[in-house]
Amino acid sequence: MKISINTLRYYKNHYQWSGEPAPEGAAALVEKIGAQLGAVEETERVGDKYQGVVVAAVKECRKHPDADKLNVCLIDDGGIVDGVERTAEGLVQVVCGAPNVRQGLVVAWLPPGATVPESVSKDPFVLGTRELRGIVSNGMLASPRELAIGDSHEGILEIEGDAKPGTAFDEAFNLRDDLVLDIENKMFTHRPDCFGWIGVAREIAGIQGQPFVSPNWYRSDASIPAVEAEPLMLTVRNELPELVKRFCMVAMRDVKVGPSPVWLQVELAKLGQRPINNIVDYTNYFMLLTGQPLHAYDYDKVRSLDGSDGATIVVRHPKPGEAITLLNGKDIEPRAEAIMIASESTMIGVGGVMGGSDTEVDEHTTAIIIEAANFDMYSIRRTSMAHGLFTDAVTRFNKGQSPLQNRAVIAKIVNEIRSHAGGKVASELIDDVNLPAEVLERNALHAPVQVNAAFVNERLGLQLPAVAMATLLRNVEFEVGIDGNTLVVKAPFWRTDIEIPEDVVEEVGRLYGYDRLPLVLPARDLSPTPKDATVALKTRLRHTLSRAGANEVLTYSFVHGKLLEKVGQDPAQAYKLSNALSPDLQYYRLNLTPSLLDKVHGNIKAGYGEFALFEIGKAHVKGHIGDDGLPREFEHLALVYAADPKHAARRAGAAYYQVRAYLEHMMAGFGLQDAVQFVPLDNAAAPYYESGRAATVLLNGQPFGRIGEYRAQVRKNLKLPAYCAGFELDCQLLLAATQNHRHNPYRPLSRYPKVEQDITLRVAAGTPFAGVQSLISDVLKETIAEDGYFDLIPLGVYQPEGTGDKHMSFRLSVASYDKTLRDQEVAALLEKVAAATAASFHTEQV
Amino acid sequence: MEYSDTRISDAAGVLKTRLQTLDNKADILKAVELKALYAEIPTLPPEERGAFGKEINSLRQELEALVATHQEQAEALPALDITAPFDVNVPAGQLPQLLAETQGSMHPLMRERELMCDIFYRMGFTSIESRELDDDYHMFTALNFPLGHPARDDYDTFMTEETDASGNRLVAPAHTSTMQHRVLKAHKHELEQGKPIAVLVPDRVFRNEDLDARHEHTFYQFEGMYVNKGVNAGHLMATLKTFLEAYYGKALEVKSQPFYFPFTEPSFEFSLSCPFCEKQGCSVCSQTGWIELLGCGMIHPNVLRVAGIDPAVYTGFAWGGGIDRLVMMKYGIEDVRHFESAKLDFLRQFS
Repeated sequence: MKISINTLRYYKNHYQWSGEPAPEGAAALVEKIGAQLGAVEETERVGDKYQGVVVAAVKECRKHPDADKLNVCLIDDGGIVDGVERTAEGLVQVVCGAPNVRQGLVVAWLPPGATVPESVSKDPFVLGTRELRGIVSNGMLASPRELAIGDSHEGILEIEGDAKPGTAFDEAFNLRDDLVLDIENKMFTHRPDCFGWIGVAREIAGIQGQPFVSPNWYRSDASIPAVEAEPLMLTVRNELPELVKRFCMVAMRDVKVGPSPVWLQVELAKLGQRPINNIVDYTNYFMLLTGQPLHAYDYDKVRSLDGSDGATIVVRHPKPGEAITLLNGKDIEPRAEAIMIASESTMIGVGGVMGGSDTEVDEHTTAIIIEAANFDMYSIRRTSMAHGLFTDAVTRFNKGQSPLQNRAVIAKIVNEIRSHAGGKVASELIDDVNLPAEVLERNALHAPVQVNAAFVNERLGLQLPAVAMATLLRNVEFEVGIDGNTLVVKAPFWRTDIEIPEDVVEEVGRLYGYDRLPLVLPARDLSPTPKDATVALKTRLRHTLSRAGANEVLTYSFVHGKLLEKVGQDPAQAYKLSNALSPDLQYYRLNLTPSLLDKVHGNIKAGYGEFALFEIGKAHVKGHIGDDGLPREFEHLALVYAADPKHAARRAGAAYYQVRAYLEHMMAGFGLQDAVQFVPLDNAAAPYYESGRAATVLLNGQPFGRIGEYRAQVRKNLKLPAYCAGFELDCQLLLAATQNHRHNPYRPLSRYPKVEQDITLRVAAGTPFAGVQSLISDVLKETIAEDGYFDLIPLGVYQPEGTGDKHMSFRLSVASYDKTLRDQEVAALLEKVAAATAASFHTEQV
Repeated sequence: MEYSDTRISDAAGVLKTRLQTLDNKADILKAVELKALYAEIPTLPPEERGAFGKEINSLRQELEALVATHQEQAEALPALDITAPFDVNVPAGQLPQLLAETQGSMHPLMRERELMCDIFYRMGFTSIESRELDDDYHMFTALNFPLGHPARDDYDTFMTEETDASGNRLVAPAHTSTMQHRVLKAHKHELEQGKPIAVLVPDRVFRNEDLDARHEHTFYQFEGMYVNKGVNAGHLMATLKTFLEAYYGKALEVKSQPFYFPFTEPSFEFSLSCPFCEKQGCSVCSQTGWIELLGCGMIHPNVLRVAGIDPAVYTGFAWGGGIDRLVMMKYGIEDVRHFESAKLDFLRQFS
């Protein structure tokens, strides 16, 4: 939302406000607006480019002797420009090529030394004194384009009215020291009134603690003069009363379409609008002033569409296949729910978004229809988004303008057109209202809000008396009744946002100044803050793994369907985005491992020969619904280890055991190393693991996850090195296990030394290591019981070449609480172990 | 596979036998017999060429399939004893070892998140996780977004083809506020025992935005909520200021600008004086001396009410801000896309 400080100043006389917009200078105002109204994104000194430009009168104009298209003019600048050659009468000679230059014109003169305003921000062009075909020209007379107030370059700017020769251009048009502020639109999402200058001026007065009164004409019950010329038949049929709560129209005739007065062109141009013609410019101008978009149609064009004597306007949805050409030249087939303005036969505009080109006001137009409507904000926004149409009208309508201001604005523009464009009222004011009776009756959108001063103070941390609050609110034209400490607050008709006591809190806080609120921390007792167990667990896992040399990664929760296919997963199981930005992000991932595998090749290519990536994240699978009725969120931890051939050669044994070491290290930290079991993986259930080289991990007998190496096809699809493995585990199960398990790593020390002895057992090659190991452990536990403690350390597995046997070696480290153990006692212990394993596994002690 | 033409079935027999003996199984596809069969096609009467050609192609496909099977078998590695802690015949000195601690790293976003949680923890806030797939009710309805509100369209928010029980599309949360209703409901009974609700939700959110150096569709927010009797807007500003001063380890100025969110009233955009240039203006703060950091406000009474908390008795504040941006500013990270790139070049700098 752009606003000019000089425009605010100019209008001070129109509305009743005795203050000054920027009493402490522009910078202070920008800061104050930021703190109490909305962030100022940008400021621009729009008048500075007119330095040196002077209003002048053409006193004499004759043909250039040597050039058909040039004229030699003598101009009167009131004698104020120094250093130019003058005639005896004090006039200055300027050569001008514009077809419209003539004696008697008042023009904008760029004297020598001035910069062409339009060029200031690009490649500044400074004028001089030079000869044109042998005749001296002192500077130039400027066109609207050169003055940066329009596109027109066919002739020089003609200044009408009473601007005196010699007046500086910036002074004549209220541009001196003017500052245009661009306030972020988002701030005004719920403040449609602030999309008009009057609304912003009111707020600026309000935040300075000054009373503001809207202009006399800005009243919800305004009316227009009676029909004053031959009537034009105009009928309105609103078929969408739910979406179009108000639809005001009036017809005018004898309109003279032409360029706007220069002041109006300047006002529009400095806010980035393009002047078009007086009718369009006035409608735009009053939109900028009030926030209420207006539209003008050519009456005769509307009428002739239906070939009828009068104009009928229908508000309706488009019919299937119906299309329209818009003012911007675009042809669209509007979405079925769009609000369309139509004649009986033909659509003439997308209501609240953009008019159609068929009924555009042009230089031949003499009769017009003016529309001041109120459209449903959500419908406008959807239509705008659906067709990519972003207009000033959309910006305003999609904030939900008040339907109580339409009469004020249409009455005002009718008067302006009567005064400045020759128009005569040629129909009644048609005012189709679809609002609840009580809204019209109380002249406010919502019922008055009752609120206690204490309620407001509690929420702001202030101690303002009720009367001080009332003053703040009355400054911006609220009606406030005070009953003891209770305020009865009635919002003015243009406010759409005051419904509940908290809205009054906001209003008071903002007008008082949030920057003045006392900053105090909430009081707090000494009870300890609880920690969330899931967060704590994940944090711990992160620390453990990163300290173990693994690198934590974060990858997207969404994956490409092709990635799922590359690892043998079924995209049909995955939740699918309906509005994905690209196929790369089409599916919710089913688990984390594929995302990690996808990141291996890039890192190897980047020169990393050996690494472990891990991620802690969520996974979703269709068909798994939680107790809350929502898709279950699986909490996973995944780790992938990879090594290029050079690094793999330095490792002995399969990659599987590298990741298993990570898993065991992690579980040992929780004291859960013995709660984990590895069982051969049912290959059908595991799309990407290699048969015989992967396991299901159980935790306390529950499925905990999977670990293993990857299939050749998967390795190929994802360019994985051969030496690569990983695991993915369920954090929720781990959390439950840690919570049910009292982990005490300590056992009392013995006063006696511990003794170590190794044992090697020969077994058939197919015997699982874990079976033997746990049997030994059980035997030792049972035998030693409370008398001491032991550690059983696996030392290695050796398979002699060409045999069907394996040798499993363990080291037993044991101590007694009662005595120093003798070697024979330990040996006996190991014999007992060997006997037990022989019985169960047919082992033989080596 | 049966071939009706004897010339082809003979060749098939020969080639399959030879396949067994070849070192490079793929060589069978270059066999002279195969070439000779193809060469024969032009010599045949035109009406026989089609059927003959088809059979040669079938033979070729059969051979290709055999080669592929052989290759897969050749690549398949021997089964392991997955119950053992290490492989067979691994020398004692070369048992599996974890990588060096010096090359490990926590993700910078997670590390920073932990730091933030720790400060808030000391201030009395507990941290919980958010959801990555949620419903319309928690994302919008419970947060006072009216039906038809544009945020409910899928322009900004990712939605799934699948729907919830009420037929609304599921949502990839665009803000951590999607947890507000759950937090309020879960802690309501504590309010009644005289304890405040003080919860931080620092987690992953999603926005339907094209990727560039400054925009990610996946990023991290930290949501904070505080509810009790007598909570006011000054408490909100003081809480955020206190956090930021602890986070940056220095005194800071803060300011707020009015804003609009459906789930807070009043709403603010919150800025802090630039901690990197002492308000002198630098590249981090775009030479303004201030950094717009987050949105916040007093929790809307409808949000409290729908969670069963009486807004006449209790009030509270909430905020939500980006973690990625804090981390980018702190370390001078120029491209937000590094975070989810999983590049070790990036990650190991945070070892």
